[in-house]
Amino acid sequence: MADEDRNRDHSEYFSEDETHETQAAVQDEPEGEEREGGDSFNREEDAYQWHTGEKREAAGQEDAVEFINTVKAFGANTVLNGLDLGLPDNQISMILGPSGTGKSVCIKHMVGLLYPDEGDVLVHGESVPNMPDQDLFEMRKKFGVLFQDGALFGSMNLYDNTAFPLRQHTDKGEDEIQEVVMRRLKEVGLGDAGDKMPNELSGGMRKRAGFARALVLEPSIVLFDEPDSGLDPVRTALLCELIKEIHEDNGGAFVVITHDIMSARRVAEYIAILWKGRIVESGPADELFNSNNQFVRQFLAGEAQGPLGME
Amino acid sequence: MNRALEVPKQWMSVVGEMAKFGGRDFGEIFSGKVFKYTGEMLRQCGVLILGSAITIWTLMFILGLTCGIEGAYFNRSTGAPAYAGVFAAWCDLREVMPYGFGYMMSAKVGTGLVAEIGAMQIADEVDALEVMGISSMTFLVATRLLAAMLTLPFMYLAGIGVGFFASYIAVVHQIAEVSSGTYFMIFWIFQNPPDVLFSVIKAFVMGIVIVIVGTYYGYTAGGGPVGVGTATAKSMVVNLVMVHLIGMLGTQLFWGANPRAPIGG
Repeated sequence: MADEDRNRDHSEYFSEDETHETQAAVQDEPEGEEREGGDSFNREEDAYQWHTGEKREAAGQEDAVEFINTVKAFGANTVLNGLDLGLPDNQISMILGPSGTGKSVCIKHMVGLLYPDEGDVLVHGESVPNMPDQDLFEMRKKFGVLFQDGALFGSMNLYDNTAFPLRQHTDKGEDEIQEVVMRRLKEVGLGDAGDKMPNELSGGMRKRAGFARALVLEPSIVLFDEPDSGLDPVRTALLCELIKEIHEDNGGAFVVITHDIMSARRVAEYIAILWKGRIVESGPADELFNSNNQFVRQFLAGEAQGPLGME
Repeated sequence: MNRALEVPKQWMSVVGEMAKFGGRDFGEIFSGKVFKYTGEMLRQCGVLILGSAITIWTLMFILGLTCGIEGAYFNRSTGAPAYAGVFAAWCDLREVMPYGFGYMMSAKVGTGLVAEIGAMQIADEVDALEVMGISSMTFLVATRLLAAMLTLPFMYLAGIGVGFFASYIAVVHQIAEVSSGTYFMIFWIFQNPPDVLFSVIKAFVMGIVIVIVGTYYGYTAGGGPVGVGTATAKSMVVNLVMVHLIGMLGTQLFWGANPRAPIGG
């Protein structure tokens, strides 16, 4: 979908109150903003007062993944509450947000592990919730997913883990599989660790191995679920460099879910900030880092003072 | 009153979910989808045989000894020690072997399945399979059920042989009041091929139910390691109840109306 389309108003999906609420937030300065004396924001007043939903123009890329007014609740807990989001193709996008705002739930919606209660999720323009099972399994081959702890199969060594998607989905012979697997393992710096079992690896190695496995089918969309969680700052930086390098080589839409601002500064080309199940603002990284939105500024600066509290 | 009904309502709900899960599982097998993963299915056959057969046969050997000893002492007390073979034949084939098989299948295979699949579930491995475009239901669950269907009858038949052998040792060599020839004459008179078939059916149904219960609790496990532990314990309780239920219903069905006992002509 083109950028101008991505910037379209999805207000037709909102209820009347919600539309009014969103438009009011865009037009007016949010109430209870900065006041003298530091932390005097009225956080209770309106949970969505900072959600302008503004979508800044990206660099001429179509959307690989789109959320259209997506609502998802688990019991009484509404995790996605009218989420509108477009993630551009051929860029490294980051979905940032405080813990517990539904970032991982977003990933599960993209690959059809969860279905929205309302709204739609499109991957390359195709509606994921409306796909028959067979099409869904085919569509998932477009994806490579790096789970938080790598999600390597504990019963297989690293080589077999990485070779697994190739053995299941391609007719390649073992020689060809070996060539692909070793290339991917070397890319992530694990060329000598193919015979190791997952429980013999450190957290960082498991993530890199998961990254290698996510790439073997040459997916057009790669999803990273908090790749920096549990890693020290140096290894986080190295992993971010690796993500950038591999994106330069392979292209495609890389979507990184995180709440680590340093990682965002290092790799993000496009940023969407998620809070309370909706996008506060989204756009090219450099524009978001210069946003005037109080919430965005506080979150991207990692400051205690601002509209985001402990709630 | 409503709160008192909550627990049985939850049980009924779980039973319904399990039945649905089992139906889906058989659907994956009989639609042929499972044969896409024949390699994994054969690997599971290997895991079952190599990982569980010796343990199951050991229990069946011990139970065979128990039947032989009980039979020998009981028949001695009635003044007919030569008829120890009757007790051994019925005890082994009709009741104790299927139960022993069910107990060890529950303890070894059922709980193993919950722990294995549950651990995969909480470590996102099941989701990883799904996002690779592989149906976890087919790859993880249906392959294990089909492997059980293919291997369990043979494991059980071999287990019956182990039990018979143990009873023979107990009666003829340990208690040693009956000659080998007399023991075998009586032993074979009091059983016939349909009894073996019925016994295999009992054990087979137990085995299949145990695998379905185990895979169900593993597949639906959540709440971290504690959740997997709780699911494992629940599966053991359900499986033990099911083993006895199937044992009782099988006996009633196969031998209730016609015990096929050649007594009094």
